[in-house]
Formats: sequence, structure tokens, C-alpha cells
Amino acid sequence: MTIEVSELSKAFVTGRKARRKTVDAVRDISFSVAAGERVAFIGPNGAGKSTSIKMLTGILHPSAGTISVLGLVPWQQRRQLAMRIGTLFGQRSQLWFELTPRQSFRMLGAIFGLSDQHLVRRVDELGELLDAGHLWDTPVRSQSLGQRMRCELAACMLHEPEILFLDEPTIGLDLLGKQLFRDLIVRLNQQRNTTIFLTSHDVADIESVAERVIVINHGEVIYDDSVEAMRRSLFATKYVDVGLAHPAEAPSLVGVTIAQHSPTMLRLVVDTEAQSIGTVVNAVLSSLPVADLSIADPPLESVIASIYSTARTP
Amino acid sequence: MNGLQATFRGACAQAWANRRGFWFEITVMILNDLVWVVFWVLFFHRVGTVRGWNTNRILMLQAILTTGGGIVLGVFANARNIGRLAADGELDAALALPVPTLAYILVRKIQALNLGDTIFGVVLFVAIGHPSPSRVAMFLGGSAIAATVLTGFLVLIGSSSFFVGRNEGSELGFHAIVMFGSYPIDVFTGAGRAMLYSVVPAAFIAAVPARLVDSFDPGLAAGAAAAAVVFATLGVVAFNLGLRRYTSGNVWKL
Repeated sequence: MTIEVSELSKAFVTGRKARRKTVDAVRDISFSVAAGERVAFIGPNGAGKSTSIKMLTGILHPSAGTISVLGLVPWQQRRQLAMRIGTLFGQRSQLWFELTPRQSFRMLGAIFGLSDQHLVRRVDELGELLDAGHLWDTPVRSQSLGQRMRCELAACMLHEPEILFLDEPTIGLDLLGKQLFRDLIVRLNQQRNTTIFLTSHDVADIESVAERVIVINHGEVIYDDSVEAMRRSLFATKYVDVGLAHPAEAPSLVGVTIAQHSPTMLRLVVDTEAQSIGTVVNAVLSSLPVADLSIADPPLESVIASIYSTARTP
Repeated sequence: MNGLQATFRGACAQAWANRRGFWFEITVMILNDLVWVVFWVLFFHRVGTVRGWNTNRILMLQAILTTGGGIVLGVFANARNIGRLAADGELDAALALPVPTLAYILVRKIQALNLGDTIFGVVLFVAIGHPSPSRVAMFLGGSAIAATVLTGFLVLIGSSSFFVGRNEGSELGFHAIVMFGSYPIDVFTGAGRAMLYSVVPAAFIAAVPARLVDSFDPGLAAGAAAAAVVFATLGVVAFNLGLRRYTSGNVWKL
């Protein structure tokens, strides 16, 4: 396994004197990640995501438990680990604000012990891979956030890391910028087998990038499965969207509720444990003037919201 | 070129990127320091001497203080920021790199404003210090001791933020050492004077090195060198212990 976490905990002491209390940011979490996996590590605000990722990268010391990343103990072998992983925090920068990315890459190349020739070749490669070579000679201060994030990604990829830790990498990007960024991450994973460990609040990041989701809430892992399994196992629900040729009454069926009904459109929410999709489709086709019909999974957003709310402590 | 050298080069390039601003800041600081020189010249012109201190001695003290202080606050500009970086959780980017964290932070930022201090200090020494090879050597050595003690002290008090979670104490410490360091040490007596040789080592960032330039004393030189080693060691130890308690944060910075 590339990452192995066992009974990991982190407690912070907050407040002063009489009001001092201990907050358990992470409580006894355990999971493992194989080489080449794309894992989304998600949870609501304050769930312990960033704290966990910072312990995995050696930035924070845990209060209890064990971590092995590429066979190294992050907080004890931080510098060795940093040579083999890349970290991108959406709110932090490795680039010099007044300098061009190429100048920053030169400094970072020296930090990672890359030879001049290797660095030049690598910068060219990343320029092609990230479609960002034209940004290398524009000072960071003059770049848009989306452009800067591409340069940041290049900076953390310079030394060809085996794992990329991405903490809210698309925060602040516009829709197009986010999509480009997600495509880049998937391409990096597919071309180089780079393990991706991602935290994000953006459901589209999870859908586009991750194959597997680990959900953390109140410092505990409450779900760990594939993105598809998450949808299917947690929501035995399907949406049947019917386009109507002309206004009509909706059929009444057990296990089916009407979510939306207009003269031209009908959305049925089907509880597949109470009613089969086939029966519902047959009933719709035989009793309604169907112009169009589609069956969809509920949006991942509502699945995740459901997981968060069911796991909420009283 | 190793990682720290490269980082220092990056910091130089960053400071130099806005050349007009660079020279403007240096000029402003030189003018500021000049005001102090004028003040002390007028003061001693009026009062003569104060406990053995006269115009020449105080100007030598100013030359050492501005040279050493300028090296710390200009070249290792983050020495003063460690408390804020620790309290606000801004060390993540440094901790994500395969470099010794404290050294990296110290060389990561150059403050042009305080380079003006160093330029001023050197020019002042040349103007009033009767430079000879031995006096130049003592001036350079004294400035190095002053810079080391000040860096160690700033890192030490800055590291307290790891433990108390706030930065006000380290800011107070900074102002205290610079203020006490800029006065003739002999105006302080008793416990106050002892404090300036220990808890707040203001004596070692100006008065002691200045005395070494004027009249070299091997015992005093050894004491000053020992103080530099002690405060540098305390700073490194406190910082590394503090890192274990580092809590990171979510401040949005570039």
C-alpha cells in the first residue's frame, strides 16, 4: 500500500486557562490507499480533512496512531517524504509572487536536487502536459488564479512525485478553470500512475477526478467506497424524467412520488426497493403522451448531503 | 547550488524585482537613521558625557546596531515574522519542502527597507570609526555577533507563539531589545542591567560589540561569542520543539 493509516488521532487544545478544552479534530481513523488510486477525502467544514492531509504530509504531528506513506513516517521523515510527494494547498503558494514561474522552478529544482538539464527537460514536459508553457515567463503577480493554479501544479510536479496531495485545489477557480484542472489531474494519474489524494467541497471535483471516496465527519471515517457504489448503495432511488407531448395526469404507483409536474415535464422519484423501474416505465409509456424519457441517478451532491446528515451526532 | 542558496537567490530576485521601490525603501531608512545620529550628536554636544559615553562611543554603538540589525531584519527578514507565521499557521508551504524549515524561512524573504540600516551602519563606521585592519575586523566580528544574538533572540521569542498561540509577546520582545540596544548600556544599573545581558540580551547587539571595537578585551569577546552561541542554540531548540505543536491554519496568502 502507498498510504496506510491506522487509528490516527489529532487533538487541539483551544481556549485559555479555565475555558481550556481539547478538540478532537481527527479520531481513530484508519484507511489505506494503493498506488495509482484516485481518492477523494471529503467531509463538511471542520470534519478533519485538512488536518488529516497535513498529518499525511508531515506538516502536523499526530496525537496518536500510525501513518506510513511510501514506507516513511511523515512527521519523522518529513524531508525524505517531501522528495517523493507533491503537495498543493489551494490557499498556499510555492511560487515567488514577483518572479516568473520559470524563475521559481529554478529555485525549486535546486531544492529537489534536479540537475539543470533535468530541470529544463521537466519544465518543458510539464508545459506540454499542462498546456501552460506560455505562462512560464509571465510574473505570477500578472497571472489569473486559474493560470497560477496550473503553475502551482507544475511546481509540485517538478520532481515527479509518486503521490499528489491536493487540498481544495480548485477553490476560487471559475467553471472552465475547474474543468481544465480536473482533466489535468486525471491525465497525470493515467499517464504517470501518480496516486491522487484529494480534498474538496466541490462535488464535481469528486465526480470528475476520484474513483473512490472516503467521507470523514467529526473526525471519523463514516464512508469508504467507490464513487459509483456510493451512489447506488446509499440511494435506492432513481429519477424518471418524462417529457410530455401535451398536459396529462401522472400515474399513481406505490413507491413513486411526483417531484415536479408541469404541462410539458414530469419528474418521478422512484424508490426501487418498493417499485421496479421497469414497472414504472411501462406505466408511464402506456398512460402518458411521452415525448421524451430518461432515467437518472440522484445527483452526488444529495447523496453526500445525506451521508453527512445521517452521520451527524445528536 | 543547494536548496537554501537557491532560496536565498529567489528572495534576492524577489526584492530586486521592483528596483525603484527597493532603492526608495533603502533611502528612507538611511534618512531615518540619520535623524538618530543628529539627535545623539546634539544630545552629547549639550550634556558632554553620560557615564563615560560620548558622541564617538554612541555613534560606534549606532554603527554596530544598524549594521547587525540590518543584516537580521533585511537579509533574514522572516526572523521577526516567526511568531506571526507560527500563530497564523503559515508554515505549511515551508514544511512541504525537503529543506531545514528554520533555515529556509530565514532566507526566504529579504526586506529592502532594513538593508538601508546595514548600508548606513557601514558608512557610519567608515566615517567615524577610524578604520584600520584590526578595527575593521572587530567591527565585522562585532556585527556578526550582534546579528547572531538578535536572530537567536527573535527566533526564540517568536517560537513562543507555538506554545501560547499568539504573537503579541514576540512583537514586544522585538521592540524591547531594539530600544534598549540603542541606548548607552551604562545608564542601566542593577537588575535592569543584568537583564540586558541575559533575558533581553540588548547589550550584545550593540554596546558590547561597540566596546570591543574601541578596546578589545579577550574575556569580553569570549563572553559575546558565547552569548551568540547560546541564543542561536536556544532559538533553534525552541523552534524545533515548537514545530511539534504547530497547528497550521487557513490564512489565505500568496
